[in-house]
Amino acid sequence: MAHISELEASLRPPAMEMPPYPPKAITLASGEKMVVRQVERDEIPTLLEAIYPLLWVERDFYDIVAARLFGELLAYKRYRVKDEYVLAGLIDGVLAGMVNGRLVDAKTGMSYHTLTIRRGLRVGSHLFAAKMEYHVEHCGQEEILIVAESPIGFRRWMIEYPLEKRFEVQHELGGVPSWVLPKETYYKAKPRLVAGTRPVPEELLASAETIVLPEQEIVVRQVAGEKEGET
Amino acid sequence: MKPIYVAGAGMTKFGRADWSLIRLASEASRAALHHASLGEIPVDGVVVANMGAARVNKQTALGSALVDQLALYPAMAEAVENGPASGASAFKVGCQAIASGMADVVLVTGVERMRVVNGLEGTDFVASLSHPEVEYIYGVTLPSLAGMFARLVMDRFGVERRHLAMVAIKNHLNATKNPYAHIQQAVTMEGILTAPEAIVNNPPIAEPLHMFDCCPVSDGAAAVVLVSEEIMTKLGAPPIRVAGIGQATDTHAVHEREDPTDLKAVRLASERAFAMAGLRPADVNVAELHDAFTILEIAESEAAGFFGHGEGHLALERGETALDGRLPINPSGGLKAKGHPVGATGVAQLVELTWQLRGEAEGRQVKDAEVAYACNFGGFGNNVVATVLRREAR
Amino acid sequence: MSDKVVGGKCSACGAVSYPRRAVCPKCRNETFERIPIEGEGTVLTYTDVYALAIDYETRYLRLAIVELDSGQRATGQLLADDPKLGMRIQTTIGVVRKPGEKPITGLQFVPI
Repeated sequence: MAHISELEASLRPPAMEMPPYPPKAITLASGEKMVVRQVERDEIPTLLEAIYPLLWVERDFYDIVAARLFGELLAYKRYRVKDEYVLAGLIDGVLAGMVNGRLVDAKTGMSYHTLTIRRGLRVGSHLFAAKMEYHVEHCGQEEILIVAESPIGFRRWMIEYPLEKRFEVQHELGGVPSWVLPKETYYKAKPRLVAGTRPVPEELLASAETIVLPEQEIVVRQVAGEKEGET
Repeated sequence: MKPIYVAGAGMTKFGRADWSLIRLASEASRAALHHASLGEIPVDGVVVANMGAARVNKQTALGSALVDQLALYPAMAEAVENGPASGASAFKVGCQAIASGMADVVLVTGVERMRVVNGLEGTDFVASLSHPEVEYIYGVTLPSLAGMFARLVMDRFGVERRHLAMVAIKNHLNATKNPYAHIQQAVTMEGILTAPEAIVNNPPIAEPLHMFDCCPVSDGAAAVVLVSEEIMTKLGAPPIRVAGIGQATDTHAVHEREDPTDLKAVRLASERAFAMAGLRPADVNVAELHDAFTILEIAESEAAGFFGHGEGHLALERGETALDGRLPINPSGGLKAKGHPVGATGVAQLVELTWQLRGEAEGRQVKDAEVAYACNFGGFGNNVVATVLRREAR
Repeated sequence: MSDKVVGGKCSACGAVSYPRRAVCPKCRNETFERIPIEGEGTVLTYTDVYALAIDYETRYLRLAIVELDSGQRATGQLLADDPKLGMRIQTTIGVVRKPGEKPITGLQFVPI
């Protein structure tokens, strides 16, 4: 590890021991296999490039999610947020979606965002579940604070898990007060909401070694829908 | 009744539209009118099919609006609403104008732009077709009626979830060859049913129906140009004859159906259509059925007369209804994958069949298609319109 | 807000319409008496609906079509933990939908 100056060290938050996320493989509805794995800091620029065009897609609140996620990913890369993690879903190495969050302390997690690039295959559901799995099963946490910016998120998480109201706590994202996923609810929901197999077969894991950028035009079209011309 | 012909057909890509409701309708209309190449021949009437514009788009009098958009005034015009069967009903109304001699050229356009409201509002709007006092108040939605129907049929006739999955897989595959389809994504048995991940990939919607058993919510429009025999001869286009149309109704509340596993209205409507056409189910080369739910493709294939009651899933299993099978069903991808803009669907089925009969369904062409059948399923099977098209020799 | 669910019994031939209608489907007579839709019966079919419309906050709703011993069929909410085709039930009246301030009552089926 490179030597950092005293000044830089003072600008970085103290880091907790965070276990690595063991990659897993998920069979999607299309029969394709998605690898869910942790993202390293030097891979962040690829993710930033992928979500950049989404900053102007209003549909389904992609713009605000992309904008906030952009900042969070950059903060993770440059050591300016405490104990953040980033997970990505890759199909044939191509980025299909990403999730992130951070550990507030040993007991509590703070879920940040979920962004799906390849739509129609429940990629978002799988990745959100993966990060809940990370908090509860790998980091041994008691509960995770969660908010949703879009109605889709609200339906998928608040209603489907279901989550409990924890409105006395203001979520870091600064919008609505928090909901929470207690670990007991996670385990109860696990059979129907959390999927995937470990370990990932060698060849499949190798295909996910380098994150491949999806074609920009396809990203925007997939996410925003067909542009049928001006009104 | 004077003979009726389909001279042109066109549609927009189904999915999520940026265009307004009327823009969608006019784009599909223009495509159909260009396909018909009417030249100087005037359009006498316009019939618009739509279910939800008044509620969801806050717009009414769509017939008048489309006439204006296309600068077709002073042509006759109105809108027709028959729930999910609006499309075929509008088609029927257009045919009646030609058959009676009241018109020589009628444009029939179905359109829906539902995605302006969220999923809950959309579900509620469609649920408004259920009986207000004995169904709707209980939280009955269209998927719930399909779920109850599916459970009963599966219990009585041995239809299994894997048969439902086969319908989805077939139709998704067909749609990958249809540039107009909403969903162009193939799915596999492993991904939607047998893998442990399937419970996340394919969650329950109205058990035993799951996500991949239900069609998406789509925006889109489809249009056909109907003409009289004289105009057909003048145009010199391949003569696609409207050989037969049949319609039948049944009780409003699903619980009052005589046999809750029998789609009686489909059976009666089909019998009437075949009788008018002087044809039988065995004569049909290609069919577009109303698979808003996968179970319905199976059940309609029986009630229409293609397979015995309780045997549709066996024919499906044998591959008879695949694109290369004996009787391809839903070469377009069906409602399941092509999409279901409610008012447009009935017309879109006939657009696909017109293309099939003219040999213009590139990539998914059914060889030597001569007789085609469509079933447009309104309400939950209490108002069905069946149509038989036939390519005549020139 | 009555606490009974009501069908129409034809005053000429006695056939019961539920839902009520204006003309008897059996004999075309146009007058009816009110008859409560209630009692014991069996579950003809049921479903757990997850794709709910507005007014509901639960994760899913359990609905059923039942065949009452009196001969009528009815749709309602099934309050059974372990539903089975053909199971015996009894009708009750309960709140079935809450569209804003005024709750709507209707048929609920409980196992017997």
